[in-house]
Amino acid sequence: MFPKLDPLLHSELRLAVMSLLAGVDEADFTYLKKQTGATSGNLSVQIDKLTAAGYITVEKGFKGKMPRTTCQITPAGQEAFRGYVNALQEYLSSGK
Amino acid sequence: MEQNNEMSAQQSLQIITETFNKSRKGILRNSAKYFLLWGALLTAISLVIYLLWNLTGKPQWNFLWFAMPAIGYPLAALMGKYDVAVPQNEVSKMLTGVWRVFGVFAITLSVVAICLVPMNVSLIIVIILGLAECMSGVLLKNWPIIICGFLLGVCGAVVAMLVNSEAQLLIFTLGGVLLLVTGAIMKLQNK
Repeated sequence: MFPKLDPLLHSELRLAVMSLLAGVDEADFTYLKKQTGATSGNLSVQIDKLTAAGYITVEKGFKGKMPRTTCQITPAGQEAFRGYVNALQEYLSSGK
Repeated sequence: MEQNNEMSAQQSLQIITETFNKSRKGILRNSAKYFLLWGALLTAISLVIYLLWNLTGKPQWNFLWFAMPAIGYPLAALMGKYDVAVPQNEVSKMLTGVWRVFGVFAITLSVVAICLVPMNVSLIIVIILGLAECMSGVLLKNWPIIICGFLLGVCGAVVAMLVNSEAQLLIFTLGGVLLLVTGAIMKLQNK
């Protein structure tokens, strides 16, 4: 574990979710589940953690008659993600 | 994907890169089906009008062009409804924007030409079709699409000035085939 890295993002599934959300406006829960291959339960738990940290927002609604959960990265989340990537690059370029 | 808090820096970067690429490819693959839809429609409708016009000698068959948005937009909406909720990224949003602008220009100019000021609509539409195709190639960073769009716009405009109205329809058939090829390239590149 690297001291400079955000521990919330230094987790395989949360990092994958943030990477997915960083490149799009918003994404459905089903899309995130399909892309990460995670179970619904595990994904929900990690999404809750990211939401609690203010990195993403979750909106529940309907698409037609089907329930739909949409996730969106927040400016704080974008900033944290950028910081995480920069810290990784620094670490790798320092040759540690 | 399971929880793993003991990743190395390389593993973290690998997850980010792989996730980005997988997502980008999925989004572009999803956009490809709209190129295939509009390409198939343009090819089919231009050929049908060409054949009917040649068989009957009546240019009124050109009103069938309005079947294209009438069929295309509901079909595109239906396809979107049954999507596995694929999100939009910057490239797919810009592609949608380019083709929406093309659609608005093409429909408005056709209506203006019919109702207000007669003009060579084929010439204008083939130029903006080539331009939209060319811009799609620029957004997708794909040289074959850029070159095909450029050739369609420039050569199509020259041909549209030289041939009669019936033959101009075949330029649009070629444009439709080009859209189909663009869709196929997008699908293949983002497998």
